[in-house]
Amino acid sequence: MKDRSKYIFIWPAVLVVLIVTLFPLVYTLNLSFQYVRLIPPLPPRYVGVDNYAKLLDQARFWGVIGNTSTLVFISVGLQYVLGLGIAMALHSKVPGERLFRVTFLLPMLLTPIAVALVWKQIFNSQFGPLNQIFTTFGYPNPPFLTEITWTYSSLITVEIWQWTPFVILMMLAGLQSLPQDIYEAAKLENASNWQIFWTITFPMLLPISVAVIFIRIVEAFKIIDTVFIMTGGGPGIATETLTLFAYQEGLKKFNLGYTSAISFLFLIFIIVFGTLYMALLKPQLEKRN
Amino acid sequence: MQQNKWGRWGVFAFCAIWFVLTLFPLYWTLVTSFKPVLFVTSGPTYLPWIDFTPTLKPWLDAFSGERGDFVATFLNSVWISVSASLIAVILGSMAAYALVRFEFRVRVLSGVLFALAGIGTYVGLTQVKVGEVYAMATAFPVALAVSVIANRFPLPGPVMKNNDVVFWFISNRMMPPIVSAFALYMLYSKIGKEGMKMIDTYWGLTICYTAFSLPLVVWLMRDFFQSLPVEVEEAALVDDVPRFRIFLEIVVPMARPGLIAVTLITLGFVWNEFLFALILTTGDWQTLPILLSGQNSYRGDEWWAIAVAVMIAMLPMVLITIFLGRMMRSGLMLGSIR
Repeated sequence: MKDRSKYIFIWPAVLVVLIVTLFPLVYTLNLSFQYVRLIPPLPPRYVGVDNYAKLLDQARFWGVIGNTSTLVFISVGLQYVLGLGIAMALHSKVPGERLFRVTFLLPMLLTPIAVALVWKQIFNSQFGPLNQIFTTFGYPNPPFLTEITWTYSSLITVEIWQWTPFVILMMLAGLQSLPQDIYEAAKLENASNWQIFWTITFPMLLPISVAVIFIRIVEAFKIIDTVFIMTGGGPGIATETLTLFAYQEGLKKFNLGYTSAISFLFLIFIIVFGTLYMALLKPQLEKRN
Repeated sequence: MQQNKWGRWGVFAFCAIWFVLTLFPLYWTLVTSFKPVLFVTSGPTYLPWIDFTPTLKPWLDAFSGERGDFVATFLNSVWISVSASLIAVILGSMAAYALVRFEFRVRVLSGVLFALAGIGTYVGLTQVKVGEVYAMATAFPVALAVSVIANRFPLPGPVMKNNDVVFWFISNRMMPPIVSAFALYMLYSKIGKEGMKMIDTYWGLTICYTAFSLPLVVWLMRDFFQSLPVEVEEAALVDDVPRFRIFLEIVVPMARPGLIAVTLITLGFVWNEFLFALILTTGDWQTLPILLSGQNSYRGDEWWAIAVAVMIAMLPMVLITIFLGRMMRSGLMLGSIR
C-alpha cells in the first residue's frame, strides 16, 4: 500500500520520543567527559575519562552495584517462583478464582511511594503489627530497617509484594495460550502432575518466562522509590541503589559530570546485561523448539 | 489437570494466604487512617469499634490543608496524568496503527547522517557564540531534514523495517530514567534561563511523561491492532475513503477496549511515577508521590496522617485495578498482554 498519510500517523510519536529521549542521551554522554560543578560555580572543562576512572576506582560505586544486584536478583527470583505458582493455581480454576485474580493484580498498580510508606509502618519495630507477631514468638523489636540483613529482607519483601502480580499476570496469559491436546495426551499416559509440569508446562512457558524475568530485572534495577522512603539508603549506605546514588551525587551535591558518568555506566551496564542475557538464553530457547 | 481432594485444598490455601498477604497492608492502612493518636502509639490495633474508636479527624485534617495542600496536589496529579496519558494514547495508537498497516524503511546510514548533521550543526553554532538552547533548537530540525532527505536515496548499508522501529520505541523503556531525568533537568533549567519556564510547570512534566509513556502504548496497541480484521478497512479503501477517516471511524471503534485498557495502564504509570516528578518539580506542580515522600520525612510517626495521604494516592489506582480486572475477565486484554 503506497500512502503518504502513513507519515502523518507515525511522525508525531517519533518526534516526541526522539526529542525527549535522544537529547538526554547525547547530553549526558557529553557531560560525563567534563568536570562541572554548580557549587562552587567553576567553568566546565573537559577531563576525558577522568569521571569514569574515578568512579570505577571508588569502593562506594561497586558497593552500590552490589546492593542493587542483591536486591534485584533475589527479589526477581522469588517473584518468578511465587508468580508462576500462583498463576498455575489460578489456572487450575481454584474456587474463588475470579476474586483472587483481581485482588492479586492490585499491588502492581499502586503508587510505589505509598506502598513503601505502608510497609514502613508494618515494619516499625515498636508499634507495627509484624513486631507483635515476632514478640509473641519471643523476639521483640526486630531491627527491620536498621540492621543490614533485616533491611534487605524487608526491602525484598516489599518488592515481592508489589511486583509478583506482574509475573502472575504474564504467566497466566502464557498458561492460557498453551495447547490443551498435549495435556490430554499426557493424562492418557498416566503422567504425574510433577512430570507434566517439568516436561510440558515449564518448557513450553520458557520463552515467556525469559521475557518476564528480563522485563522485571531491567525494571527492578531502576529502583529508587521504595528505598528512598523505607531506608533512605541506610543503615549507612548499605542499601543505596544505583539510581539513589546518582540522585544524591547530582541533585544534592551538584557534581554534574560525575553524575552523568554514573548514569551512563548504568546505561552501559543495562545494555551489556541485556545483550548477554539474550545471547545466553537464545540458543537454549531455539534448541527446545 | 487431574488433582486429588487434598491437592485442591492445598492450592486453595496457597491462594488464600497470598490473598490475605496482599490485602492486609491495605486494610491496615485503611483502619490506621481512622485511628485517634492514642491508638497508634499504644501498639497495633486492628478492628474498629472493638480495638479502637474510629475518628474522622485525620481525614478532616488532610483536607484542611494543614499537612500540605492535598487538594491542589491531587488536582495536579489528575491533570498531568490524564493529559499525558491521553496525548500518549492518541499519538501512540496512531503510530502503532501505521506500524501495523504500512511498511517503513529506515536506512541505518541516514541515522548516522542524523547524528553527524546534528552534532556538526550544534558544535558549529556554539563556536560562533550562539546560545546552547538555540543551537540545539537549530541542530535538531537540520539533522532531521538531512536524514529524512537522505533516507529517500538508495543508500548502501542495512535497512531497518517496522519491527526495528518498534524495537527502537521499546528500547527507550530500558533506559534508566535517571539518565533522562537528570539531563532533562539540565535542559529545562537552560530553557528557563532563556525565558521559558519549564521546571515545575504543567507542560514540563506532561511532555516528559508523554514521551516516556509512548513506548508502552506503541507496543501494546500494535499487538491490539494486529488482531483486528483487515477486511473492513480494505473495503473502505476501495471506496476511496481517506486513511484518517478509516482510522477514526472504523479502527478506533473496533479497538476501543484496547484503547481504554492502555489508557488506564498509562494513567497508572504516570500517576505513580516518582523520580521525574522529584527532579522536575519544586512546588507548584508537585504530584502526589512527592507530597507523600515529604510526609515521610517531617511527619515521622504520625501514622494516621500518613495513612490518609496514602489512601488518597491509592484510591484511584484501586478503582482502575477493579475496572481492568473486569475487562480482563471478559478476555478483552489477553491479546494485548502477550
